[in-house]
Amino acid sequence: MPASMTHPHSHPQPGSDSRSDARPEARPEVAVRAPSALPRGGPASAYPIIDAIKRGETPTPRIHDSVRAEPVILAVNNFQLWYGQSKALHGITMPVAKGKVTALIGPSGCGKSTLLRSVNRLNDLIEGVRVEGSIDLNGNSVYARGVDVIDLRKRLGMVFQKPNPFPMSIFENVVYALRISGERNKKALADACEKALRQAALWDEVKDRLKASAMGLSGGQQQRLCIARAIVSEPEVLLLDEPCSALDPIATLRIEELIHEISSRYTVLIVTHNMQQAARVSDYTAFMYLGRLVEYGRTADLFQVPQLRETEDYVTGRFG
Amino acid sequence: MASARFETRRLTSDAMFGVCAACAAVIVTLLLLVSGYLVFIGAGAINLSFFTDVPTGDVAQPGGMRHAIEGTLILLALAAAIGVPLGVASGVYLSEYSHEWLFASPMRFIADVLTGVPSIVVGILGYELVVVPVSRWTSNSVSFSGYAGAAALAFIMIPIVARTTEEMLRLVPKTYREGSLALGASKAQTVLRVVLPSAFGSISTGIMLAIARVAGETAPLLFTALGSRLLTRDPSEPFPSLTLQIYTYATGPYPEQKNLAWAGILVLLAILFVVNLLIRVVASRHAATRMGKS
Ligand SMILES: Nc1ncnc2c1ncn2[C@@H]1O[C@H](COP(=O)(O)OP(=O)(O)O)[C@@H](O)[C@H]1O
Ligand SMILES: [Mg+2]
Repeated sequence: MPASMTHPHSHPQPGSDSRSDARPEARPEVAVRAPSALPRGGPASAYPIIDAIKRGETPTPRIHDSVRAEPVILAVNNFQLWYGQSKALHGITMPVAKGKVTALIGPSGCGKSTLLRSVNRLNDLIEGVRVEGSIDLNGNSVYARGVDVIDLRKRLGMVFQKPNPFPMSIFENVVYALRISGERNKKALADACEKALRQAALWDEVKDRLKASAMGLSGGQQQRLCIARAIVSEPEVLLLDEPCSALDPIATLRIEELIHEISSRYTVLIVTHNMQQAARVSDYTAFMYLGRLVEYGRTADLFQVPQLRETEDYVTGRFG
Repeated sequence: MASARFETRRLTSDAMFGVCAACAAVIVTLLLLVSGYLVFIGAGAINLSFFTDVPTGDVAQPGGMRHAIEGTLILLALAAAIGVPLGVASGVYLSEYSHEWLFASPMRFIADVLTGVPSIVVGILGYELVVVPVSRWTSNSVSFSGYAGAAALAFIMIPIVARTTEEMLRLVPKTYREGSLALGASKAQTVLRVVLPSAFGSISTGIMLAIARVAGETAPLLFTALGSRLLTRDPSEPFPSLTLQIYTYATGPYPEQKNLAWAGILVLLAILFVVNLLIRVVASRHAATRMGKS
């Protein structure tokens, strides 16, 4: 169930061109739509696709043409994942656009985190996990035999639901990824630390206490520190798993602004169960349900002119 | 009605508090009695020469215990040097690697059994496994030595340190490990740079407990270090220790030596107190940095 819905302050004008290919530079304001009466397609049930999924089928996801037009950085191909006997991801096929923010939405337990953790193979740590299909990062297979997982993870950054700074100084937290890669040069470390903290909009708050423990920061600062830590080695994709779910609204807002800012430099794949957040921060949104991809398109389209009734009713909070 | 129920609840709560407070008071009183008694008796025999002199051989003027104090400190340092790395490494294995390899649960079981082995057994083990083979090797008649004593003490420390390390590492949040691995750290880097340091405070508390436990041991040293009246710093020789010297003096017939034994007990307790205090300071300072108060 969506946590909260804002009141729609502007109804999309009929015929307003939210699908136009000429996108403005700034991300358009996307209002989450109020439930409206869309002509029903299916004869028997309102949600034929959801019904099919519940029957255990894997319907072909509705992927908008706008997605396919983008250059791909991360290609998920017919990806399946099992936790022991239970299957958590069913034939996910999903290109992720380079240099954009892509949000994964869907009800709790639908496999968003699982998909995210499949990208950096963090699921390898869980006993009994088995995968099929493929994920390619910039053309390199993630799951092929002989892939150096450590090398792969160095190319990705990840931020978790709960801020998890290590119990060491702020400085050491930020440069951790560089240290483990063997960087010893003090100047290089200091420069990288400052750069990452600036990009994470934390520099001004902590520049005088880099040696202090990271555990003394507020929750929001800790999460921004984790973002700095994740981008210090300039990852190809930044994976964010509900990065604001443990934060207060103001800290959440700051992180969202931050995501917006760093999206000019990095590709971001963000999991959120907050629809407004997806609408605010992302360029593309993928709607998942029970381990399947349902609909995937430009965020503005998905929230305002979704192609599936399921998606519309989910993003407007009528089901889910 | 509701207020009556509230009343009983308050009474129960007060009663529980009373019982707990009384028990705590009894324990504290006992502790104060014992230490007060020790200080009362032991302090009389403590003077400067207790710390500076070695045994004279004269039962009326038995000298001091410098050799034994130094011996105990050296034995503890040696035992810790052997036992702490081995114990911590085993604890890391049990907590971090055991699900990838075999032997974990037998190892854990053996460690638990070893923790409960009577220390006299450890002494005999030290005799059979260190003293006798070394004697054969060097063709000495019997090679009692400080090394053998330290090995016996280390043998007691290892399972304690291993199990506390394991427990403490298990308490380190999984999110630290995932965070580190997600940044491309290897498992070894994760353990050494994140997991172990974040458990440093509690592991050092475990080490302190293990040191405190062996500091008071006599039985493991009886057949290994043997004890000595000489001031020696060579652990390949029979080696003095406070506990052995206390044992010798306390079971002997001479009142002057018995007095020295009391003083020795007091000093032993003081050493334990300092060990506790030191590592507590280290641990709390570490906790303070973790909480960001540094
Ligand atoms: N470690 C695990 N072991 C077994 N099942 C798991 C594990 N983690 C997640 N699952 C299951 O996989 C499904 C997807 O979970 P998850 O990816 O966490 O969903 P989401 O992030 O969308 O809330 C859920 O049904 C969940 O119970
Ligand atoms: Mg999740």
